Amino acid sequence: DRAPMGPTVHIHNGILQVRAPNYEDPPGLVEKTDFLLREWINIYNSQHQGRDSTKAFSIFVHQMNVHGILKTDDLITRFFRLSTQLCVETVYRALLDKSNANMTLIRPKCYHTLDAFVRLVSLLVKHSGDANNTTTKIHLLNKVLGIVAGCLLQDHDTRTVDFQQMPYQRIFTMLFLELNAPEPILEAINLHVLTAYCHTFHILRPSKAAGFCYAWLELISHRVFIGRMLATTPQQKCWSLYAQLLVDLFRYLAPFLRNAELAKPVTMLYKGTLRVLLVLLHDFPEFLCDYYYGFCDVIPPNCIQMRNLILSAFPRTMRLPDPFIPNLKVDMLPEISYAPRINTNISLTISPAQFKKDLDSYLKARAPVTFLSELRSNLQISNEPGVRYNISLMNALVLYVGTQAIAYIRNKGLTPSMSTIAHSAHMDIFQNLTVDLDTEGRYLFFNAMANQLRYPNSHTHYFSCTFLYLFAEANTEVIQEQITRNPTYKFWQHQFVHCAPEIEKLFESVARSCFVKTS
Amino acid sequence: GVAPLGAVPLQKEHQQQFQLMEAAYYHMPHPSDTERIRTYLPRNPCNTPSYYIQAPLFNSDTPEFYQRLGTETLFFVFYYMEGTKAQYLAAKALKKQSWRFHTKYMMWFQRHEEPKIINEEYEQGTYIYFDYEKWGQRKKEGFTFEYKYLEDRDLN
Repeated sequence: DRAPMGPTVHIHNGILQVRAPNYEDPPGLVEKTDFLLREWINIYNSQHQGRDSTKAFSIFVHQMNVHGILKTDDLITRFFRLSTQLCVETVYRALLDKSNANMTLIRPKCYHTLDAFVRLVSLLVKHSGDANNTTTKIHLLNKVLGIVAGCLLQDHDTRTVDFQQMPYQRIFTMLFLELNAPEPILEAINLHVLTAYCHTFHILRPSKAAGFCYAWLELISHRVFIGRMLATTPQQKCWSLYAQLLVDLFRYLAPFLRNAELAKPVTMLYKGTLRVLLVLLHDFPEFLCDYYYGFCDVIPPNCIQMRNLILSAFPRTMRLPDPFIPNLKVDMLPEISYAPRINTNISLTISPAQFKKDLDSYLKARAPVTFLSELRSNLQISNEPGVRYNISLMNALVLYVGTQAIAYIRNKGLTPSMSTIAHSAHMDIFQNLTVDLDTEGRYLFFNAMANQLRYPNSHTHYFSCTFLYLFAEANTEVIQEQITRNPTYKFWQHQFVHCAPEIEKLFESVARSCFVKTS
Repeated sequence: GVAPLGAVPLQKEHQQQFQLMEAAYYHMPHPSDTERIRTYLPRNPCNTPSYYIQAPLFNSDTPEFYQRLGTETLFFVFYYMEGTKAQYLAAKALKKQSWRFHTKYMMWFQRHEEPKIINEEYEQGTYIYFDYEKWGQRKKEGFTFEYKYLEDRDLN
């Protein structure tokens, strides 16, 4: 985990406040908070308020002052913690009240309490410090998010299977919507708001709070959240933060998905994930293009559909050639000379440092041969079937060697082709992996290569040549079969293929072309 | 599904995660949890037979669609779906049909005839208005519509 410093320091402080084993509140503070909060909820829900309760708010702030709540930072924090806990308790009481059979009436009751609290928080954030003092506002927001996150984790750990997602989800969503209202004060701090939310969601990722996973998925896929993260913020400043959240999601799902026996709760989360990916593929294909590597690195290799959604993304400005045109000259496409953007530092993933060093020197000198014979043991981490290999290292190695190969060929003034890729240190490595690995290793190796076959770019071109070369040079039929079994070809069996008529047509023609070949 | 690498038993950590996720599965988020409170028309999801339409008509959230709706429907949307895009579209459609909103009476007025008096501050004449309490259109003769109560924000 990130050390509690930098931009997240106030979030972590908020969490620590709640999670500290024995925080003692000054006498009477609980009662004061309870009184003030009730007062505010009444004011908020009573009629004839200004549209955003501004007038009532200034009177209320005066009251908070009278009760000494605003005297110190510590007291303010405690006030927020106690308020969050009081609101959450109210919700639990309402939801568990069995005499109240009509759920459509219970929920609005909970919303009245939670929405009032949210409005109070947003007004306090908005009006803390001078109008132009963004720092104070951001600190307060971070603190509050940390406190709510801390309360959530505490609640999640103590109530375990009785934990309720609703109060926290509503607080997060409604506060987010309030803070994204079209007002100059809020627009000035928007990037900070988004950053604070991403850090908070990352802290609350499903592997840390599994009982919150459905609400969490809804939070990160909320239309306003996605819009702000991927569309409205200039210069794609939030893309990497959003990619991190998706990686959190894939990582969590991975152990459940790899066994392919999906229990209902997993299926539900998986389906939701696919829907989010479909939205992203449709609306933000460039985002999936840029972060495909990190995503495919954590998605288990058997999740073909998920990976295909990611790998089929291509920049909207690009016109893909029809792959079924007879004699399509891929070599002539101008796009294949451009490298795709990759937002992961692959060379850092290649570890240990000595292995990276040996790799680089082999690529340079094409010696010693022992490097090749030791390659397999560098990739293998156990003897247990199914978990023998370090998949991340395999992925990084394949892409790294490939990009180095492209650079090497270009340096010679040539372009990658079936003849220029052969007989080099790079191809030595690939051929060695093909021959020397066992079935499991080879499967992962081919997968790592297939992950690079995407829209027309230099990687796609290089790796498709490499695939064909390895196929042609293969000394056993097992290898050829394993290449052909490449999961990418099982595309058309999947539902998402039928979502658009053009795509369906495309796959029909794949099927037809395969039929022609085999008959 | 397929598991080419073979099944691997879940580690203890993942078993615990599964338990918590399973519990959460039985109290899923409700659509209304992430929406503003709907005072009059709360969501009440229930299973409807598949031969009834399951999703609203295509383009039913456009100004053109709202202009085709009956006036009473527009009034209903305006009064019972406060703070939504639907309310905004209804108001827009009503304005297009020459209805004007009176911010003091909170009712929509339409000229029944050319006003008898028009000056800087008000106009006076016979109007049709929609009474949301009696839920119907009424006529008012000799009514003074003060312009300070005219809702004249540009809805674009």
